[in-house]
Amino acid sequence: MAIIKNTIMKNHKNIIAAIALITVIAGCKKYEQFPVDKVGIDYIFDKKDSAGVNAQKYLYGIYSVLKNGHNRVGTDYLDAASDDAISSASSPTNVVTVLSTASYNSYSLPADENLWGTYYGGIRQANEFVNNIEVVPVLAKYKGYSIKYLWKSEARFLRAMFYFELLKRYGGVPLMGNKVLTIADDVNIPRNSFDDCVKYIVSECDAIKDSLLTAPFTLPESDANADSHRPTKGSALALKARVLLYAASPLFNGGNIDPTNNLTGYTDFNAARWAAAAAAAKDVIDLNVYSLVPNYKNVFLDQNNPEILFMRQGGNNNSVETNNGPVGFTAATGKGQTSPTQELVNSFPMANGLAISDPAANYNENDPYANRDPRLSYNIIYNGAQWLNSSIQTFEGGQSKPNSALQQTKSGYYLRKFMGNFETTNTYSSHNTDWLILRYADILLAYAEATNESAGPTNDVYTTLGKIRQRAGIDGGGNGLYGLKAGMTKEEMRAAIQNERRIELAFEESRYWDIRRWKIAETVMNQPRTGVSIVKLGSTLNYNPINILTTRFVAPKMYLYPVPYDEVQKNPNMKQNPGW
Amino acid sequence: MRKIILFFQIIITLLPVALYAQNRAVTGKVRDISGVLPGVSVVEKGVPTNGVTTDVNGRFSLTLKGSTNKLVVRFIGFATQEVTVTDDKPLDVILQTSTNGLDEVSVIAYGTKKRITNTGAVSSISASDIRTVPTANVQNALTGKLPGFFSQQGSGQPGKDASDFYIRGVSSLNPAGNQPLIIVDDIEYSYDQLQQINVNEIENISILKDASTTAVYGIKGANGVLVVTTRRGKGGAPKVNVRVEAGTQQPTKTPKFLNSYDAAVLINEAQMNDGIQQSFTQQDLDAFKNGNDPYGHPDVNWYDKIFKKQSYQTNANLDISGGTNALKYFVSGGALNQNGLVKDFADPQSLVNTNYYFKRYNFRSNLDLKANKTLDLRLDITTRFSDLNQPYNQNAVGEVYNFTKTTPFTAPYLNPNGTYSYAYSNFNPEHLPTLNARLATGGYQRSRRTDFNFLFGATQKLDALTDGLSVTGRIAYSSIEQFTKQIFNGGIPAYHYDPVTNSYALRPGATYVYSTYALTGNTDLNSNNYNLQVYANYDRTFKNAHHFSGLLLFNQTANTAYAAPLLAGSLVGVPQKFRGVSGKLGYDYKQKYLLDFNVAYNGTDRFAADHRFGIFPAVSIGYNLVKEEFFSEALPMFSLFKIRGSYGLVGSDAAPGNRYVYNQVYNQGSPYSFGQTPNPYNSITEGSLGNANVVWERSKKLDIGLDMNLFNDKLSLTVDYFHDIRYNQLITPGSVPLVLGVDLPAVNIGKTRNQGFDGQISYHGKAGNLQFNTGLVFSYAKNKILFRDEATPAYPWLAQTGYPIGQQYGYHSLGFYTAQDVTAINTYMAGNGNSNVGNKNIAVPDNGIPIQPGDLKYQDLNGDGIINVFDKRAIGNPNLPNTILGLSLQAIYKGFSVSVLLQGSFNYSFAVVGTGIEPFQSQFQPIHQERWTPNNSVNAAFPRLGLNPTSVNSPTAYFSDFWLVNAYYVRLKTIDIGYQLPNKLLPFKINNARLYLSAYNLFTFDNYKKYQQDPEISTNTAGDAYINQRVVNIGIQLGL
Repeated sequence: MAIIKNTIMKNHKNIIAAIALITVIAGCKKYEQFPVDKVGIDYIFDKKDSAGVNAQKYLYGIYSVLKNGHNRVGTDYLDAASDDAISSASSPTNVVTVLSTASYNSYSLPADENLWGTYYGGIRQANEFVNNIEVVPVLAKYKGYSIKYLWKSEARFLRAMFYFELLKRYGGVPLMGNKVLTIADDVNIPRNSFDDCVKYIVSECDAIKDSLLTAPFTLPESDANADSHRPTKGSALALKARVLLYAASPLFNGGNIDPTNNLTGYTDFNAARWAAAAAAAKDVIDLNVYSLVPNYKNVFLDQNNPEILFMRQGGNNNSVETNNGPVGFTAATGKGQTSPTQELVNSFPMANGLAISDPAANYNENDPYANRDPRLSYNIIYNGAQWLNSSIQTFEGGQSKPNSALQQTKSGYYLRKFMGNFETTNTYSSHNTDWLILRYADILLAYAEATNESAGPTNDVYTTLGKIRQRAGIDGGGNGLYGLKAGMTKEEMRAAIQNERRIELAFEESRYWDIRRWKIAETVMNQPRTGVSIVKLGSTLNYNPINILTTRFVAPKMYLYPVPYDEVQKNPNMKQNPGW
Repeated sequence: MRKIILFFQIIITLLPVALYAQNRAVTGKVRDISGVLPGVSVVEKGVPTNGVTTDVNGRFSLTLKGSTNKLVVRFIGFATQEVTVTDDKPLDVILQTSTNGLDEVSVIAYGTKKRITNTGAVSSISASDIRTVPTANVQNALTGKLPGFFSQQGSGQPGKDASDFYIRGVSSLNPAGNQPLIIVDDIEYSYDQLQQINVNEIENISILKDASTTAVYGIKGANGVLVVTTRRGKGGAPKVNVRVEAGTQQPTKTPKFLNSYDAAVLINEAQMNDGIQQSFTQQDLDAFKNGNDPYGHPDVNWYDKIFKKQSYQTNANLDISGGTNALKYFVSGGALNQNGLVKDFADPQSLVNTNYYFKRYNFRSNLDLKANKTLDLRLDITTRFSDLNQPYNQNAVGEVYNFTKTTPFTAPYLNPNGTYSYAYSNFNPEHLPTLNARLATGGYQRSRRTDFNFLFGATQKLDALTDGLSVTGRIAYSSIEQFTKQIFNGGIPAYHYDPVTNSYALRPGATYVYSTYALTGNTDLNSNNYNLQVYANYDRTFKNAHHFSGLLLFNQTANTAYAAPLLAGSLVGVPQKFRGVSGKLGYDYKQKYLLDFNVAYNGTDRFAADHRFGIFPAVSIGYNLVKEEFFSEALPMFSLFKIRGSYGLVGSDAAPGNRYVYNQVYNQGSPYSFGQTPNPYNSITEGSLGNANVVWERSKKLDIGLDMNLFNDKLSLTVDYFHDIRYNQLITPGSVPLVLGVDLPAVNIGKTRNQGFDGQISYHGKAGNLQFNTGLVFSYAKNKILFRDEATPAYPWLAQTGYPIGQQYGYHSLGFYTAQDVTAINTYMAGNGNSNVGNKNIAVPDNGIPIQPGDLKYQDLNGDGIINVFDKRAIGNPNLPNTILGLSLQAIYKGFSVSVLLQGSFNYSFAVVGTGIEPFQSQFQPIHQERWTPNNSVNAAFPRLGLNPTSVNSPTAYFSDFWLVNAYYVRLKTIDIGYQLPNKLLPFKINNARLYLSAYNLFTFDNYKKYQQDPEISTNTAGDAYINQRVVNIGIQLGL
């Protein structure tokens, strides 16, 4: 023992030094013990945040769930999966081609339209906001109350919008209320009926409409530069009108694909639903805040026009042109992604308002684009149209249809809509590429449609359609009917309205859903898509119709999307839509 | 430490030399292929007491006393050799490395184990075996050398050519969860730190494979451990080693592309198949064939124009070691320079080097200081600097494959007036300036990296307390910084020359003059790591029978990687913390019965406070039958016959995604804009839910092994069987409905099994002056997913459970549609509403593209007449081989030595997609000439040509076993032929000189013709990686 002690004494310096070193290093243990750079929900909804900075950021996260429809689906417009257009890149993995050729099932619905999880994510975030915003002591006021109540109404508006997006795709879906589920909760939630979902969306719109902002924005209540394009009372009423219009439509009202299934629609027909839809649209019109802007093209370029009810701002760029512009211009590249069909081109009337099939319309098959409804040239670039300081060549072998391996139009037409006014420039420049979700023309058309269905082709219907056609640039005609036939039957008027919607709202994600809710998809989508092959011989152009894609629609199952396969497998209470 | 004790023991026993017999004096020198060996024991055969050890220059002198005329030369790490003394000339003894002797040690966690008493699964090699392999990365030289080591080298780009490697294959579904732990001098290194190490600094490399050897690493041990020890000074006068080598690099495969004529013919055929107008007229084809219009109808082999036949690399190393009793040192420096394969496009406009290259400079100083009798200090300092250069924004290799960027007929190499041209063809819609133009003037991207490592340690012997006890403390620090700068030039004037009008047209959008270079840069890597270890070691033998050893370790690490954080823009990092206590307890009775117990109690801050720490125990036993009399009498040829087994639990703390899985975090989302003038507002979105109960993955590992040595250790065999169950794997559950509305966290639910065997057989012998050594290393590991939380698949063949990790899924090819098939389909569809649904005989894809003869036909698994995702099934094997063999042969004859490693990988699959193979995406390759045509319908090796990039014939759209190659390869992986100059030729002061020729990837035999790619390519890629290199190298090594 003594020896040991002695040895230790001899080495004590070393040992003490070593022990000291170890102690110093091991003692430094009060280091960051938790992920200090990560934030949790307490930081978002902070009890001390009197400006609500992070809560607002969270609200903007909910806004971000809204979709920007420009080349959204794959790299195409959703309407390229309708009878209005096809994708120039048609191929098996191309999303719109998958959709328009019925090449999907519950397992393989392409991601960009398989939005079940996306919108439930948005709904969850909205619920989280609605449940937690109370704790944030926001001082700023709107209409005498803390502005957080305005934010809360915005979150509820967005939530209602997400439910509508689900409803039109799937029919009735599970309504979550304000619940925010955790992994420990019972997540096997059944679907609510279609009726419940409509009622819920409508009741939410009604509940929030008066606590939202009101347009036009004026200080001190709201600041145009900060608040433009937030949802307003008009937005809420327009969403309500749209939901009611869908709910009154044949697919859900009387034409339920599974007549006794309350998930896929109403189990009865009730004409009062059309009346309710008309009344809801009238409420928007009666706000007297919104109007049609004189220039159709500017609706999509001018961010602050009175036609916009709700939109998602896009960037300031020329992405629409680079994606969809005609090929063949090296200084202004375009990928020609969208090939509008001959069917869409044919649905534009003549400038006198008469359909091209009307013998009185003076339609010339050998000069098919002359004297047409000006909206044709606003929506579509055709052979001979003025664009980029030149006359577009989509004849075979022409500059914009060179027939190389390069992606180019398949139909002989390019998209024009949403683009800047580049008719007389050599290059593209940036402009706003906003996505209009609700616009006044749509409300007018909804009003006309619902009124015609509930009350017949009244004068009101004629004048409403007339406003749209007047703004489009159609001749009023001696009778002020803008080419509409006088004394139409309800059915004739229905056809006129359906055509008007098609051409007015082309590529705005309207047609794709309209042919479903009208239950005409099985007719129009089971015909071949056609385009034009223009052969230039000398200075003569020969226009030959060509088939460009065989689209397919399997009725009735395709009127609604399949609930994602996994959802049904995972949740024993989840009912699949019929046929899937 | 035990080496030194042993060494003294030998000396002590040898000191009283018996004085009898012939008294013949022998002198000589002992070397291995890398230099002289001090401290080697040289003993006269039959007179065990007559022996000496070699001095610092490897020299010895001895007076023979017996009558055998033979010396036994024995040294740890080398095969024992008997040398016959024939005449009076000095002997020149060259030893072969070996890790199979009874007393050979393997480096394991915090210590070493002898082969005779080892109970765990360890394989090791001496780094001198791989030092002359001409590769920059140590892990590239280990495949086929170490049983249980699996690797794949996905790229040959200088500086990015390190192999991915796994120990005993993979067993985690979590992609981050399969990387082995890397330990260098007991300090954890990252993957990319390992590849920076110069092999010249390494002494020994071991891999630890079973639970008993990895349990002390506890939470980090489940993927096996690669242990590297660096060289240290052995004392004596300064010993200088210089190694200088230079070599050439060539791709292992040089791709061939069709010329303009052949490509144009195929393009016309594809256009005819698709019913569109053909791009090339007969005049065009004639012009391509004649080559008499080089500007109007160019025919450029871009591969030959862009790439050199070979590029050079050099490697120089210098190390000095030596010292006194009080201070021993090893100091080394190295410089490596690898050039790239791209030609040097010197352009007067820009004198920047845009080629690929890699330069690395290593420096190491390892010092051992004896402060006093009982206190040893060590100080290791290493730094590494490297420069990695590559062309800015162009993958030169990928581009020569890419049909849409350049084609043989699109542009001449240069215009007649010397200006650059651009891709003029409509097949090249970007109309890019030619690749040589962009490489010459486009600029470069250069990453400059600095690694720094520091280790300070102190060992205090505490024999005063009790014999055999010591305490060691260590502090280690390492840091990495990498700065990348880009210098680039957007505007390149390029012209299209029209020979008919003799005119030049500027590329649309281009400028007439070069724009000035722009320069950007950023720090892309900045991390540091602190490590503290304190451990007590105990090693003592009682009564010459009971041997105890023990270790008690405290270990703490903080690792900070600077990365973009959540809600801020600058680079910051929060350190990751790791802390644990580990212990080892070993006992053996006369080396006969062996028992080892290992345990770790450790944790990381990745997990919630109450789930941080876990216990990882392992036990192993061994039974040395050869120590039993009945055995040694019955089978005297055995010098070792040991059975051993281990079982234990180890963990892995790698978690996918969010580092703190237990915590729900909120992430910065995309901004959303309001306002009359767009006003972006930042947003926050909810991240995945937290999993408060998250813990490490666990692995139950069983290993049963057999070690045998026969015929005086000449033949040795080690074989291990292993069976691992990896459970509690962190994967994202697939069975929770999306109505939850938020992503789920990783949950401890996955389970896999991994089993197999590995081992090696080696034999070394001598025939006259010829020494030879041959060994076979084999590794087999097969895993199977036992549970992954997937929703019930629509059809059983879509399930992933039950298949290996990384199983590939796709369609099963039935060959090509025939004209009869197409007729049958059309008939059926005509009678069935233009739909093929329900056609039991022939199915068609549901893509709306009509089938033509020569299209690929796939099996309709669910029999609905339609080919869609429901018809995919498991095809082929995973991309990682499950069997690896290495056959090494080594022979030494006098000063000549040859060593060869043949390495083979088996049972894996890969496919190339996109620019690597698909027509109109890839340049036309010889395989495309073997396409299906009506006249070549039987022997077609490729489907009919068409322009549609996503038809049924595309491996991108329809991944199938037509494209997937079930591959194997056998490689002459490394070869080393050397000549050691005889002593008498060595000039003054040089004690060793060796000339050698070495090679890496010299020859490859594989089993596929479809792809012009190296067999180690990653599956489902475009095949545009820098092709692996074959290196042939000459060098000289000098010892002073």
